[in-house]
Amino acid sequence: MEKLSPDWTDATNLLTARRQSRWAAKYAADRFFRFLCLGSIIFLGAVLGAIVLFVSETGFLVFRDVSLWEFFFSSRWDPEHGKYGAAVFIAGTLYLTLVTLLIATPISICVAVFIAEIAPPWLRQWLRTLLDLLVGIPSIVYGYLGATLLIPWIREHTGAPVGDGFLAAAIVLSIMILPTITRITDDALCAVPNEWREANYALGGTTFQMIVRVVLPAAKSGIAAAVILGMARAIGETMAVVMVIGNVAQFGFDLVTPTSVLTSHIVMQILNVDFQSTTNHALYMMAFLLLLISISLIMAIRRLRLKGGQ
Amino acid sequence: MKRTTLWKRMAAAVLSSALLIGAAFTTQHRADAAEVSGKIVIAGSTALLPLTQQAAKEFKKSHPKVKIVVSGSSSIAGPQSVAKGVATIGACDWDATRAVGGFPAYKGLKAYKIAKIPFAVIVNKNNSVDNLSVQQIQDIYEGKITNWKQVGGKDEEIVVINRAKGSGTRVNFEDKIMDGHAIKTSGDNYKEVQKSGDMVNAVSSNPNAIGFVDLAYVKGGIKAVSINGVKATTANAASGKYVFYGYGYLLTKGEAKGADKAFINYILSKKFQNGSLKKLKFIPVK
Repeated sequence: MEKLSPDWTDATNLLTARRQSRWAAKYAADRFFRFLCLGSIIFLGAVLGAIVLFVSETGFLVFRDVSLWEFFFSSRWDPEHGKYGAAVFIAGTLYLTLVTLLIATPISICVAVFIAEIAPPWLRQWLRTLLDLLVGIPSIVYGYLGATLLIPWIREHTGAPVGDGFLAAAIVLSIMILPTITRITDDALCAVPNEWREANYALGGTTFQMIVRVVLPAAKSGIAAAVILGMARAIGETMAVVMVIGNVAQFGFDLVTPTSVLTSHIVMQILNVDFQSTTNHALYMMAFLLLLISISLIMAIRRLRLKGGQ
Repeated sequence: MKRTTLWKRMAAAVLSSALLIGAAFTTQHRADAAEVSGKIVIAGSTALLPLTQQAAKEFKKSHPKVKIVVSGSSSIAGPQSVAKGVATIGACDWDATRAVGGFPAYKGLKAYKIAKIPFAVIVNKNNSVDNLSVQQIQDIYEGKITNWKQVGGKDEEIVVINRAKGSGTRVNFEDKIMDGHAIKTSGDNYKEVQKSGDMVNAVSSNPNAIGFVDLAYVKGGIKAVSINGVKATTANAASGKYVFYGYGYLLTKGEAKGADKAFINYILSKKFQNGSLKKLKFIPVK
């Protein structure tokens, strides 16, 4: 800024001083804004840190009473008799996610290909709006529909006495994450340069060849990110799952036996346990596992996005 | 000089009148405090929530100086919140000063029995079974009886539905019906639900299901079976002929004092017990 010199007239002095004070005010405002932004970030980081710290701190208390081996590899969950094996829930979460993705991924990719490559523009716009609306439906609605419509249907067609289980949960979750995966895959497909499609036609390729050989491989990392995002949503989903899974601490790999996963078990039990009990600590440990899984999924997405950008 | 004295006089007058009025207010305030004032925080059982809410509404009218906050999450939250000092009164579906249902006894709390709660063993409306003995219900929940034809119904597999561990209704079911027999918590015909409403949905949507719930919930697609030949009615539960009932408790840290005491006394009063409490399908204890 301008330097003040003593031989200036009073008028200029005053003017400069005013200008300087205005500059100082601006400077202060800038500084303030900078600290505001920095403060917000620190606040957010502190909240996240506090969550991880609190959940893990309480969770790790479980290992005072339960061995690592028992918690992760025993399937006997019976707190009344001092058995805290969480293998049923951990395996259940992984298995449910796998079945959900097996159902949702192929359908989502087909829908996305239809929207991005085949549908006429008016239908494309219409379908995209529809999918965005579907993303916004609260999960409890899906859960309720699953419990009242899907479960009697499963009972009728599989002969299972109860009907709750992985099949019901996986179908409900698939419908829930389908719009998410479809929309992101759609974006990834649209990001593929049009010249590549034209090159395919110029070489005499059909539309099918163009989709399978050109567009899908080019959008590979975007599609992977879409699937992982859907997976993160499926793993963390609680309310829809608790209504259709049956909530029994037993393996249910045949798809129609009532079983339980990490999220549903936590929400079933957390209100009904003593604060200081080992059961409570075990539930916190399960929550910590969920946190770890979702953090690692988000890191995986970032990796893929970075790769895709290169 | 003259001006200052005038100011001084005025100030003195204002000050003294303020003091007088203040003193008057304080004495009046004290008189009310001797009656009842303060803050009551109630936490715990959702089964007792309609009761505590109604009582709070009526109590506020007669005691405008008292602030009452009522909330409900789960039975065990009642004694826990009181022990921790988060709430002044805890509502619980069992006497938490004893060790019940796998929960520790909360020492230092005082339990007030406020209402008798009738429960019902429920089946789907289309189920032909109308009566079960306590023995039969035990055998069904233990997994010894697995088909409805063994208890006089159709040839269909029984679907056993249970509440989550720690539910107040389940604690009472285990206490009054199971009587020490362990529930079989596995198998492809067994499931657990979170809330009373979920229990009603589960039994009304499955023709072969059996479950249990507060008697007040019995309507729509479910029906209450008679136990040992006694119909599930509030009258039979009141007389003690019908065996499936429990008590609702309010818990305080030590002996109840001040506003808490007045509130509990109000719930135990003849007017409330025979009025609102009965209307809400609970049974008076006095």
